[in-house]
Amino acid sequence: MQLTLSNRITKLLCGVAVAGLLPVSGALADDAKVITSWDLQTQERTVATIRDAADRFEAANPGFKVEDSHIANDAYKTKLKIAFGANEAPCVFTSWGGGPLREYIKAGKVTNLTPYLEKNKDFADRFLPASFSPAKYQGDIYGLPVMGTAVAVVIYNKDIFKKLNIEPPKTWTELMDVVKVLNENKIAPFALANKAKWPGSMFFVYLADRIGGPEVFQKAADREPGGSFEDPTFIKAGEMLQDLVKAGGFARGYNGLDYDIGGSRRLLYSGRAAMELMGSWEFGSIANENPEFAKNVGFFTFPAVEGGKGNPNNAIGTMGDNYISINADCPYQDAAFDLLKFSTDDRAAELKMEDNKILPIKNAKVEDPYLAGVMEAVGKAPSIQLWYDQELAPALAEVHKDTTQQLLGLSITPEEAAAKMEAVAKGLANK
Amino acid sequence: MSDGSVQSMTLRSRQSYRRAQKLAPIVFLAPAIILLSVFLLYPLIYSFELSFLDWNGLGDGARFTGFDNWERLLSDAVFWQSALNNIYLAVFSVLIQLPIAVLLAVVLDEASKGSRILKILYFIPLLMSSVALGVLFKNIFDPNFGPINSILTELGLYDWTQDWLGDPDFALGSVIAVVCWQNVPFYMVLFLAALSSFPREIVEAANLDGASQSTIFWRLKLPHLQGTFRTAVLLAVIGSMRYFDLVYVMTDGGPEHSSEMMATYMYHTVFNSFEMGYGSTIASAMFIIITVIAAVSMRLSKRFETEI
Repeated sequence: MQLTLSNRITKLLCGVAVAGLLPVSGALADDAKVITSWDLQTQERTVATIRDAADRFEAANPGFKVEDSHIANDAYKTKLKIAFGANEAPCVFTSWGGGPLREYIKAGKVTNLTPYLEKNKDFADRFLPASFSPAKYQGDIYGLPVMGTAVAVVIYNKDIFKKLNIEPPKTWTELMDVVKVLNENKIAPFALANKAKWPGSMFFVYLADRIGGPEVFQKAADREPGGSFEDPTFIKAGEMLQDLVKAGGFARGYNGLDYDIGGSRRLLYSGRAAMELMGSWEFGSIANENPEFAKNVGFFTFPAVEGGKGNPNNAIGTMGDNYISINADCPYQDAAFDLLKFSTDDRAAELKMEDNKILPIKNAKVEDPYLAGVMEAVGKAPSIQLWYDQELAPALAEVHKDTTQQLLGLSITPEEAAAKMEAVAKGLANK
Repeated sequence: MSDGSVQSMTLRSRQSYRRAQKLAPIVFLAPAIILLSVFLLYPLIYSFELSFLDWNGLGDGARFTGFDNWERLLSDAVFWQSALNNIYLAVFSVLIQLPIAVLLAVVLDEASKGSRILKILYFIPLLMSSVALGVLFKNIFDPNFGPINSILTELGLYDWTQDWLGDPDFALGSVIAVVCWQNVPFYMVLFLAALSSFPREIVEAANLDGASQSTIFWRLKLPHLQGTFRTAVLLAVIGSMRYFDLVYVMTDGGPEHSSEMMATYMYHTVFNSFEMGYGSTIASAMFIIITVIAAVSMRLSKRFETEI
């Protein structure tokens, strides 16, 4: 009895071991070369455009297979970080460029695309030169813009503006007047869902850019002589942001609402709030969620600040939105670059346009009036500042988001916020 | 093995028997020890090791910095705020969850009719995923559209309406309320199980002696629950000290770190700030704090038990 039982267990264990080996042998038999590709697009149409590029790549490269995974925004950041930490990262991946991508580049995890782009001059020259900047490190290019141009604009309810006889403000003073009129009519001026802290950061970034121009931030971020996060520009931006809060600029709950579940858009739809400062992708979200309301939506660029040094045409945002890069450990580097090409070629740009996303390539023809308006604003902009939370080194970006949320909560003074930023920036620079 | 067979053994086989006897515990314990070392001990030691590094968690760029991370931790107001929040959560978990759970358990144990439906109803919160619950309660607490503020307004109590999750004064309280609501069923089941082992005859005898319901509860049933109570306190305290999921979904520790937990703060430093070394320091500190608090609460609940 004893013997037969242990016999049986042995057999069972052997069976399990054999079964465990099966997938391996299966993979060996079918020797397709697999290129894994991760991105953070989950909308059906957007995913279809990505798959279209993968299909065309597979057709052009027999023997290769693209395994694409699409992961939701916040989970994606974590998943990518863990995968790279464990050396299990995909061959091809997207990011926002800026600080986080530079962390991966510095760790030697990302392929330098400059030699490839030099070999493919015609392909590379189609892109607007400025569009590469978030994916650049020490002069080299590490990612291609893959999603579309997105800048922050003020979206507003045209009906409310018409009813109250107000015009889109061109200056900060005019904006404060609009805020007053709206409040008198019991309509909250701005809808803001700042739980994740980046939506509120947009106000601060625009104010700093309008007051001091993009150079002030660049000098502070690059630790150039004379550059400091305690520059009067940042303190003034904090003061003006708090003025807006004190004037009742935001709908109730702004520091706790969740953007991802529509916390701010709901306020717009219900007419409780009249405006929202948000990336231009918001048009797409509104059109998807509430097509009836979408007809009623207009937008204007962030108002000028009187006496500010920054050009009022400057925008904040990104020309690529997402950047597609190659993992330096990927065994099929050349094929991976080919996949990148298919993902950003003219056909891909065409499909993305149908999905309301404008790849930053020269001569993109835009028909949608909102997108055309955004592209016009982008065309006029002498500078496009990448969101601070994506541009800065991650540890500093966290401090920026924290202090901005505190500024909005009126629980910190602009001077204290600036001092905190500067202290952390100094600490990081000394490492 | 019987005496007779031992005596019949030769010296040699007796020796090997002794050796086997010495070896046996090691052989039997080996799988557990290996598992524990690989999945518990090694990560534990490794995270202590990481706490002495400055590392972004990627590649080989790690730098040994000695006690820098630990010094930073000691003066990190956000960390201590989060530790304090965990303690609040632990205290309120014990003070709110356990009494309600005991009450529900006793009532459900008494009520025979319809109690099965009630049991299921009360058990539902535990079955829901924390993410779904988080989204649900985000909507319930929404200051503009949520039912709580609407009801208060309807009742003419507009002044009582609050920005439940966006105001640093209320965010932690709101989260704790939901955490308690979610976890009461777990402790209720624990107490129900304990009560079901309570001998009916004793209750019947007490009834015959004319003991009131409250006497039966305070003098008989509650003392019977002592052991379970101790387990429950320990589970609630340890669970609260490392709480993560619902807070992450509902407030992500915000606004302004007002509902930050040690675990969410660790998550933020590792995955948002790319500070693997400092995040590991937080994790190691959590380990130390939880061990100390678990030991203290075990000691305290033992004393509480002897006092009853």
